[in-house]
Amino acid sequence: MSTRFHELRERLLRAGVAPRRVRRYLGELTDHFADLTAEEQHAGRSLSEAQSAALARLGKAEDLAQALIERSRFRSWCARAPWAMFGFGPLILLGAAYLVACLYLWCGWNFFLPGTDTPFGPPVAPTYSFANIYFQAGKFYYYSAPILVGWIIGIIAARQRLKAIWPVLGLGLIVWMGATAQVHASRSAVAGYGHISTEFFLLGHSSPTLSATLFSTFVLFAFSMLPYLVWRSRRTFVGTLTLVWGLF
Amino acid sequence: MVARETNPNFMNGVPELLILKLLQQDEMYGYEIVQAIRDRTGAVIAIGEGVVYPVLHGLERDGALRARRKTVNGRSRIYYSVTSRGKRRLADLSQNWVNLKNAIQTMLTGGQHVDAIP
Repeated sequence: MSTRFHELRERLLRAGVAPRRVRRYLGELTDHFADLTAEEQHAGRSLSEAQSAALARLGKAEDLAQALIERSRFRSWCARAPWAMFGFGPLILLGAAYLVACLYLWCGWNFFLPGTDTPFGPPVAPTYSFANIYFQAGKFYYYSAPILVGWIIGIIAARQRLKAIWPVLGLGLIVWMGATAQVHASRSAVAGYGHISTEFFLLGHSSPTLSATLFSTFVLFAFSMLPYLVWRSRRTFVGTLTLVWGLF
Repeated sequence: MVARETNPNFMNGVPELLILKLLQQDEMYGYEIVQAIRDRTGAVIAIGEGVVYPVLHGLERDGALRARRKTVNGRSRIYYSVTSRGKRRLADLSQNWVNLKNAIQTMLTGGQHVDAIP
């Protein structure tokens, strides 16, 4: 996409227009601009004159932005209801991810360790056996789920140029949920089937549990914030560079 | 007091009307639509060329237009065509416009006031 409409794109995104709509609008404007430039060149103008005339015919950036912004139905859900998208959305997403993790664990428990009371006991298979790899992959997925959800939040917030308060709120909730998540597994005495449950948001009472939770909170927050922080600092850097370049 | 339907802005709905009328005959992309409006109205009606796209997107969202990407002469463009809902909307807009035009005509020629909006 042409950098010609960069300012317009930023303005539309900051106004809450859905990124997909912005991309399509700018794509069509870019095509239209190319057609107008070709038409003006065909009429005998030089390239720079043709481009200036084409821009004038296309309309002022203000009018182009306003025409889309005033249609409120083109606003994204993140702009319409950020409290829902960043308050409930991430929790539902992480809850679903944990549900998948529990199902995965339950399947592995019943398939590889049918006689044991818990899937969390010492390894019963060689390190490179399929069973061990299966459980390690599950563990990796379980621990990385909050980070992945945090990255998704950060990417969505960055794409939509949202205020930092919303992704920080979403990440805070995710980190709290992720750091306090605990999986319990037991074998029912009656039916003999494995039973797995998860609890969230409860801080442990003992001091080692509390410090472990705090450490997890710190690690999860640092990792899940990473893409958003990189994007913010990159924007600040580019903005400063542009400003300095403008001074000279 | 009896509420009456009013026309706060006479140009309201005009771009939609012109676009639907044009696309009723043939599918077109944005640049073609703007050129066709300019040509067929003798440049009397000139809408901001870039501003046509939000109107097209709005009509598409309402189900009045259908958009599809088509490659012609090596260039990929989004072509718009009218749906059956768009045809009904065109008929409504046309009727409103005719009523409005008749009402203004009556006023200009000094005739009696008539109800513009049924």
